[in-house]
Amino acid sequence: MGAPGTAESTEAIARARAGDPEAWGELYREYAPAIFRFCRRALPTREDAEDATMDVFVKVHEKLDQYDPSRPFSSWLYKVAANYCWDLLRRRKIRQDKETEDVDEVPLEHPDGNQLEQLIEQRTSEEVRKALDKLPTRARMALVMRYYSDMSYDEIADELGVRRAFVGVVLLRARHELRQALEGTGALAVGGAG
Amino acid sequence: MTPPQRSAGQHLDEMTLLLYLERQLDRERAADVSSHMQSCGDCMTLFRALDRESRLLTRAMLEEDEPLPARLASFQQRAKRSMQWIWMVTFGLAASGVYAIYTSYVEPVQSRLQDAGFGGTSLLGLLVFQSAFWKGWQSMLSLVEILAFLVIGVSAALLFRRWFRRGTLAALLVTGMCGALMLPANAAAFESRKGETVEITKEETIKGDIFLTGNRIVIDGTVDGDVYAFGQDIELNGHITGDLLAGSQTIRINGTVDGNLRGFVNTVTVPGTIGRNLMAWAQVVNIDSKGKVGRSLTSFCQTLGIDGQINGDVVSFNQAARIAGTIQGEMRAKGEMLTIKSTAHITGPVKFEGDKEPRVESGAVLTAGPVSYTKHTPDHREGGKGYLFFRLLWTSSFILYGMVLTLLMPKFAGDCVSSAENAGPSLGIGLLILLSTPIAAILACVTFVGLPLGLLTLALWFVLLFSAQIVFGSVIGRWILGPTEDTWGRVGRMALGMGILGVAVPIVHQTNHWIEFFFKLALMIWGMGAISLAIYKRLQRSSGAVVAPPMVA
Repeated sequence: MGAPGTAESTEAIARARAGDPEAWGELYREYAPAIFRFCRRALPTREDAEDATMDVFVKVHEKLDQYDPSRPFSSWLYKVAANYCWDLLRRRKIRQDKETEDVDEVPLEHPDGNQLEQLIEQRTSEEVRKALDKLPTRARMALVMRYYSDMSYDEIADELGVRRAFVGVVLLRARHELRQALEGTGALAVGGAG
Repeated sequence: MTPPQRSAGQHLDEMTLLLYLERQLDRERAADVSSHMQSCGDCMTLFRALDRESRLLTRAMLEEDEPLPARLASFQQRAKRSMQWIWMVTFGLAASGVYAIYTSYVEPVQSRLQDAGFGGTSLLGLLVFQSAFWKGWQSMLSLVEILAFLVIGVSAALLFRRWFRRGTLAALLVTGMCGALMLPANAAAFESRKGETVEITKEETIKGDIFLTGNRIVIDGTVDGDVYAFGQDIELNGHITGDLLAGSQTIRINGTVDGNLRGFVNTVTVPGTIGRNLMAWAQVVNIDSKGKVGRSLTSFCQTLGIDGQINGDVVSFNQAARIAGTIQGEMRAKGEMLTIKSTAHITGPVKFEGDKEPRVESGAVLTAGPVSYTKHTPDHREGGKGYLFFRLLWTSSFILYGMVLTLLMPKFAGDCVSSAENAGPSLGIGLLILLSTPIAAILACVTFVGLPLGLLTLALWFVLLFSAQIVFGSVIGRWILGPTEDTWGRVGRMALGMGILGVAVPIVHQTNHWIEFFFKLALMIWGMGAISLAIYKRLQRSSGAVVAPPMVA
């Protein structure tokens, strides 16, 4: 993905907003691969990701007038993509909205850092991606929003419809679920020194 | 963010470390955590492990593990196609709706009217349901049915496309099309003949409709269907069981037309019989003493003469009308003069609006009473005392209308004015839109399928026509005061320009009516062209995605 907010991107965005199809083509070439990967990580199948990428760009093109140039274009794109993917999952009734926000359920363990280090060292990127695919939708969505598109806690809270204070919990739980998927056991998630 | 103030023994819990890593802790708490980690190796190890986990996650997700699908390279074209599906579905639904309304409401009412004997006397009914066009409409209805089925099929295929492989979908579509082609076609015969002289001899009987073109067309035989004839002179001595639609210099009906006669001709002479209605746009229409029209007569011509018999109503817009025969219905005429000869017999009321009082000779029988005469008075558009007041009112209305439009769509108003400054393209496109749009809309209306679309297009065309002057007014204002980006500045310039036009038009009006006509026409063409260009640019902008260069996967 090209560096968002570079002079080249900014100029292309301005020209695209003025109706220049060439500029829109430039933007598409620059950002489509990243948006496709975002959708690929967030949605269950490759076909879904393809459809979603197309639809996201159609939406972006329609709403280009609403884009605030003072913010990075990529952030706005990711926000539209996240919104689209989460909404798609909702429409298919496969996302879990009713997860508790009870603070008492916040995990307060202190797992063994060395064990975690060891697990991370042993796993390849491909294994992580496969493990991600096994996660519940909300956990996966949260991880993608945070660690792929670098969305803020506020933005994630807004997309997932949870309180900002609960975003950390969602992310930590998601990490635990990921570790479980990587390990095949819950040792790291629940075990700890403390 | 402040995490729950609980710790896992003397170590920091994972949640706190994660929030610290993600810079979500408030400054005070972050300082505590930082200070703790300086002295706690376990917490530092876990912190580093969490950090590495974050990096691993980011790396794993960002990695380009699979190429961008080729399908995405043409996603914009897909977007365009999806719009086409939307239009197809909309069209299909509209067509089905119109068909349903027709079969449920219009057809039964029409049938009842026919039974009650009102079938041929209504101008609307005559125009819409009884002309030769009706045959074409009936064919269109079959097309609507096929289209509606196709749309439903394609929509279903699209809806369930996830369950189809591409081959399955293609096979389904091909099978469907083959099935449609195998359906028994409606019996349809459409013969055509052309030449210098085209003749259907006395011995001949044509089964079905026929299309004739030639310098001279003579029909001595029988046509068991409709005739579409276009030539210099047309003469019917034989028999047409359907309708006759003609375009020619002269047409003479010596024989019989069982259906309707629709003519765009110079001279129509009817010594024979027309079973149903006669509608003519002509210079001269003559119903001879032996001539007979089964139902109504509608004429738009210079001279109308009726010596024969009309069994329905007469509606005429002529310079001069002369009635010496029989009219078994109402007569409504508008023109310069009306003469009712002593031999005339009119059973229904007679209404005439004209310049001169109608001349009714003694002996003429007007069963429903004397002629109801209204003297034609020139209205404000044609001059008179109220003209200037009318112009003032008209200009004020335009300024108000223009103000609303400019305030509602300031950017678009600016685009229109910019387009208008390119006089050549604006005038060219304006002329094209002025002429082609109403023709296309009327054609759409005639095909029945496009009736709503046609009416909508006509309505939009009128809106465009009225908005055109405003654009030109804005251009004049801009020429005088210079360009501006301010909305109220645009409104002011438009008002100034419209004011100038409001003064200029009466001056031109005093000079010559024709100059006024061409002056207004030029303004309208120019303005319409400018608006069309601005709309075109808008559409091009919004469909910019479609022309974006494809991306290499």
